[in-house]
Order: sequence, then C-alpha cells, then structure tokens
Amino acid sequence: MFWQMLKGALVRQSRKMFMVAITIALGVSLTTAMLNVMLDVGDKVNRELKAYGANITVTPRAASVLRDIYGLESGPGGAGQYLQEADVGKLKTIFWANNIVGFAPSLETKAIAGTGDVTVVGTWFNRQLELPTGEVVETGIKELKSWWTVEGNWVSDTDINSAMVGSTLAHKLGIHTGDTVELVLPGDSRREKVTVQGLFNSGGPEDEQIFVTLPFLQKALNLEGKVGKIEVSAITTPENDLARKAAHDPQSLSLKDWETWYCTAYVSSIAYQIEEAVSGSRAKPVRQVAESEGTILQKTQLLMLLITVLSLAGSALGISNLLTANMMERSREFGLLKALGATDGDVLLLTLTEIILTGLAGGVAGYFLGLGFAQIIGQNVFGSAVAINMMVIPWVILSVILITLVGSLPAIRMLLSLRPAAVLHGR
Amino acid sequence: MAGDKKMTKYSMYTKMIWHALLRRRSRMLIALMAVAIGATVVSGLVTIYYDVPRQMGREFRSYGANLLLTPAGDQQIISESLVSNATSLLQADKLIGIAPYLYDRVKVNEQPLQVAGTRFQSVKKVSPYWQIRGNWPEDQSEDIVIGADIAERLKIEPGQQVTLTVAGNDTEKKVKVAGIVRTGGPEEEFVFLDLSLLQQMLHKEGVVSIAQVSITANEAELTALTQKIGQQVPGVAPRLVKQVTQSEQTVLGKLQALVYLVTIVVLLLTLICVATTMMAVVTERRKEIGLKKALGAENRSIILEFLGEGLALGALGGLMGTILGFFFAQAVSVNVFGRIISFQPLIALLALVVSIVVTGLACLIPVKIATDVEPAIVLRGE
Repeated sequence: MFWQMLKGALVRQSRKMFMVAITIALGVSLTTAMLNVMLDVGDKVNRELKAYGANITVTPRAASVLRDIYGLESGPGGAGQYLQEADVGKLKTIFWANNIVGFAPSLETKAIAGTGDVTVVGTWFNRQLELPTGEVVETGIKELKSWWTVEGNWVSDTDINSAMVGSTLAHKLGIHTGDTVELVLPGDSRREKVTVQGLFNSGGPEDEQIFVTLPFLQKALNLEGKVGKIEVSAITTPENDLARKAAHDPQSLSLKDWETWYCTAYVSSIAYQIEEAVSGSRAKPVRQVAESEGTILQKTQLLMLLITVLSLAGSALGISNLLTANMMERSREFGLLKALGATDGDVLLLTLTEIILTGLAGGVAGYFLGLGFAQIIGQNVFGSAVAINMMVIPWVILSVILITLVGSLPAIRMLLSLRPAAVLHGR
Repeated sequence: MAGDKKMTKYSMYTKMIWHALLRRRSRMLIALMAVAIGATVVSGLVTIYYDVPRQMGREFRSYGANLLLTPAGDQQIISESLVSNATSLLQADKLIGIAPYLYDRVKVNEQPLQVAGTRFQSVKKVSPYWQIRGNWPEDQSEDIVIGADIAERLKIEPGQQVTLTVAGNDTEKKVKVAGIVRTGGPEEEFVFLDLSLLQQMLHKEGVVSIAQVSITANEAELTALTQKIGQQVPGVAPRLVKQVTQSEQTVLGKLQALVYLVTIVVLLLTLICVATTMMAVVTERRKEIGLKKALGAENRSIILEFLGEGLALGALGGLMGTILGFFFAQAVSVNVFGRIISFQPLIALLALVVSIVVTGLACLIPVKIATDVEPAIVLRGE
C-alpha cells in the first residue's frame, strides 16, 4: 500500500517533482563543480606560478670554500667546484620527483667576444633526458624561462655550435640572427666560432650574456661532464612554522616532526632531498619565488573556498525554499490523508521517501553535470582538465541528504500542525 | 471624472497586489528569500570579480621590484634628485615602495666584500621575501645586515661587532650586525648598510647606483610609465623586470578568468533556482487565476497583477540581496586580502535590475500557462 501510494504521488506530481529534481541537480552540480575546482586550484595555480622561474638553485658545496680559502676564481681546475652532469637525472629520483617540473644545468665562464668581456653560459635548451627508470623527460631553459621573448629561433641541443645572444649585448656588439661570433675562451686562449640562432630579451642580467649549448662549453673548457649550477623549478607546499624551523636546521626537529617535514613538499624539504641525491651539492631555495608562491596560493585557495561556501549556501537555501513551496501546495492532499486516518508518522514517512528519491535522482544527474562544469572551467582557464577528486562524492552525498532533510524541515513542521478539517475546508 | 476613475483603478490594483503579498505571508516569504539569495550571490560575486585583479595585484608585489631606475648611457651612478624626479611621475597610491641601492666594495674584518647602501625601511616594502635572522636595523642607526653566505663563511652571528673599512679611507668603523639575510639569491653575498652612512664613507653624497621600484600596475601601464620617465627625466634609464611583470600578467589573467567563469556558472544556476521557486509559488495559484477568469477578469489584467507582484518581490528581494552581497564581498576581502573594498553603485544597480527581471519573467511563464486554460477545468481541480 505504501509503495503504491508513493508511486501514485510521484507519478501524479511528476511535473512538480521534476522541478524539485532539477533544482537539486543544479545545486549538486554547483557543489560538485566548485569542490572539484577548489581542490584542484592550488595545483593549477602552482603550475602557472612556475612562470616565475626556478625556485631552487643547486650549486657545488665546495665552490665557495675553494674560492675563499685558496683564492681560486671560477675557471678550470679543482674538481670539487663542479657538479657531475650525470647526476642531474638523479633529481627525478627523489621522494618528491613528480613535483619537479623543470630543471636546467649550466656552466658559466668569462670570454672575449669582439672587443669586450662577456659572460658565456652553457646550458640545456630543450633536452630529452632519459632517466634511470627508463622514463623520458623534456626539460631545459626553454621551459624554465618562459618569460623570455625570442627573436629568431631557440637553439636545439644537438646543434652544438649555435648560440643565443642577449638583446642588450647584441645591440652593443651589432650582432644579428645568423651571424657568426668568435669567442676567445680563458685558459689556453682557444678560439671557437658559434652561429647566432636567435636573440632574446629577458629583462634581467641575462640580456648581457651569450647562451651556448652545454657540450660546446664543456669541450672548450676541458670540463667534460661537469656543470656549475642547476636551476630547479618545483611545485611546493606553502611554508609554515615547521618548514621555517626545518629550513634553519633540520636536525633540530623531533623524529615525528622530521618525518612530517620530509614527507611534505616544502621547498626546504625538496632542497634537502636534492642535496641527498646529488653528491657534493648545496640546494638553496630562491626565497623571492618560493615565499611569494606560498602567499598567492594561500590567497587563491581561501578566495575559492569562500566563493564555494557562498554558492553552496545559496543552492542549499534555494532547494529548501522550493521544497517548502512544494509541500505547502499539497496541504489539501495531506489533510485528506490525515482525515482518512493516516498518522503523522505515516504522512511523514511518505513525504520523506518521496523527497529522498527525488533528491537521489537529481543528485546523480547533478554530479555528472557538475563534473562537466568543472571541466569547462579547467579547459577554459588553465587549458587542462581539472582532476576528478573522489573525495568530493561523499561530501556531495552528505550535502544532498542534509539539504533535502533540513530543507524540508519547515514543510514538515507545517504538515504536523495541519488540521484536516481546516485544510479541507479550504483555508 | 475620468481621472477619478483611473485613480480608483490604480488604488484597487495596488490594494490587490498588497493583499496578495500580505495574505499569503509564508509563501511570499519563501519567494522573497529566493530572490534575496539570488541577488546576494549576484552582487557578491560580481563585486569580487571586479575587485580580485586589484587586490591580487597587490599580493603579487611580494615578488619584489618590477621597475628599475638605472643610470642612462655609460654612467655608473645616478643622482638622488633625478630618482625623486622620476618617482614623482608615479601615482602615489599605486606605489608600494622605492629602494635605492649604492654598490661598492668594503672590507669587513679585513675580508674584501661587496657592499650595498640602502634604506632598510624601503627594502622591507619592496622585497618582503627577505628572511632576516636577528633584527632589521633601526632607522638612522649604524647597524648592518649581512648575507647568509658571508655570515656562514666568516662565522658571524647577529648581534656581533665587526670592523668596516673602505678603500682610500683608513678610518675603521666598528658596527653591529643586526641581522643576517637569506634570500637564495645574490643578496646572500652582500653586506648592507644605511645609504647615508655608505655615501659619507665613500664621499659619494647624493648618488646611488640603482633604484628598485615596486608599483601595482600591469605590463601595459608599466611600459607607458617607462616611456614617460625616459622622455621627461633625461639621465634615468627605466627598465622593466620582465620576469616579474610578464609572469604576473599571465597568472593574474588566469585568476581573473577563473573567477569570471565561476561567477558565470554560479549566476546561471542561482537564477534558475530563483526562477523555479517563483514558478512553484505562482503555479500553486492556478485556482485563483481560474476563479478570477470565471468572474470576468481579462487575461491582461491578471497578467499585470501577477507581474506587479513579481516586480515588487524582485525589487524588495533584490535590495536585501544587494546589501547582503556587499557585506559578503567585504567579508571575503577582509579575510583573504586584509583590506576593505568600496561600495560599487553600478554593481548594486545591476544586481537589482537582474533580480527584478528574473522574478518578473519567472512569474509570467506560469501565469501565461494558467490564463490560457479554461477556467472551468482549473476550478474543477485538474
């Protein structure tokens, strides 16, 4: 009898119930979309912030000691002054390897080009690197220095005798794309010729430098397999007190704190792990980038959280409103039921089952609609899909149940206070 | 006489709407709430959308200077008066800070080191990412700050006394190290002291090597500014810090697009929610419409009556929502950015108009359907 009545009510009221289902579906789709976007926005914005360049620099530990104690300036000699190029791939073997999105080793020297001294930097431009795991990653300064504007072409790493020249220097020496530049390198005054593939404008000190391929400079300086510095761009978690304490001295932490710190993607713990992986290295977080990233990430996440709360509250109230309106409309029906001998409990059970069934149907449809909305936002804003977070599902289910139940509370209160005679009379 | 008749007609109309609203208090309260929620979301989100780039732009200034004032031509130094000439062209309310730097070499405890004279209060504003162990030096004091690399090498701790000497000036100066700076950048290889003190020691009064400027402006505004300074202040060569300006442009653009899309999606869904609630409230009154028709009311007057009710609801709910929405946006701004926002009359107007239009439309559709059917069928209860 109960199911028959339920079926009857749902079919008879199909248009109104459909409207309730649509409203719930809209509310749920909003919840799903906003929660998915909110949970993923940190990661997305973090990747965008990578445009600010490297946030960790790796240098040889011994370099500064040699220079200070023995007065050796940078140049050939002293193996401890360099990192091994073969070690660069080890960056991708650390615990937080997936968070390292780009890196480029470089070697620097002073040389004479034309009439004056210039700084020549050998680096990877856009290199396919095979890792010990068999994975292949593409990395280099093309990815790391996304703000450079290049006139001409980027140098290809296989094209050993090509170079890129900074715009200020090119202007000073009258160099154009396609020219050949002769470099007089230090040591035994070797002369090497490079072809200029492109000019770049970086708006920084690089504008007065010449960038060549790493193998070219290593050969010219007799430093095969050596690099002077590695710039690393990593996705990090905003710093907190623990991270600041650890950055000062990791040994000062308790074992439990140390584990938490080591297993969180703080810039300091990633730097620490890089030092462990690359022998004789010293990894330093670039505070300008690391700190600012943290601030901006936190603000964005908080902003999205508040917008999510507003839209959720809005949709919850909307659904609750519609349910109440719907119940009031049917007061005559419930009055009749009560007049025919139905107890308050019977009527309540009937209406609640009705609402929950409708809510479920609307909720499922809304969930998928919401995933669609989240993808639209992700594709349009960040050009990549928003990760579908399974954690959202229980939250959505919980919110549907809560919203429909709490939303129908005013309606239920009204139902219980119904006096059959008054309602049937038409008041 | 005709005027009188018109008057009674209007007063009757107002009376009917007023009564409809009052008599059905609980129903109308529901509708009013729906409209108010919609308007809150509209005005709140649109205000945030307009305010985010401005507020976020300020946050992005934690990346440090985005404009450098360098000496023009082959000059190594630039006079401070030229710098203040150039900075007077910048809008004061957008300026975060100007930090002048004078670079040279000094000896600290007989070690030759690079030194930079600056104003610490300005550095704090321009480069908020400097991590200082110890303290920032007091204004006008002779305390210094040293880079972390130097501190590690020379085993210097904050609070320690060091001797400072400059070339061509034999007088030694004992100064206190107030703090040690860690940035992960070239600053760790520098000694910093007060600009006036360094100028005095080097006999280079009134000159600096470079001035760092941090200003909230987008790339186009900055380019215009550099051109203006370059033309009006000869001797100063302004340069953009491209890494900062261009990246800021990209990230800020994406953030604004994100808030924009979210706003659109939320708005759409909220408006549909408001419309369905209004429709439910009006559909319930089909019987009333049928009775009015049976009593001889014209379709037009019924529609007008419902429309009047809808518009009154829309205006009242819209007004409530607009005010609530502003407070919501204010709360967001204070919580996220720690700054208050100003009231935008245009957005308030927009929210009001949108809620009136949506409520009106949401009323019209079910009324139109109800007036199209035969009164007898409606009254019979079909």
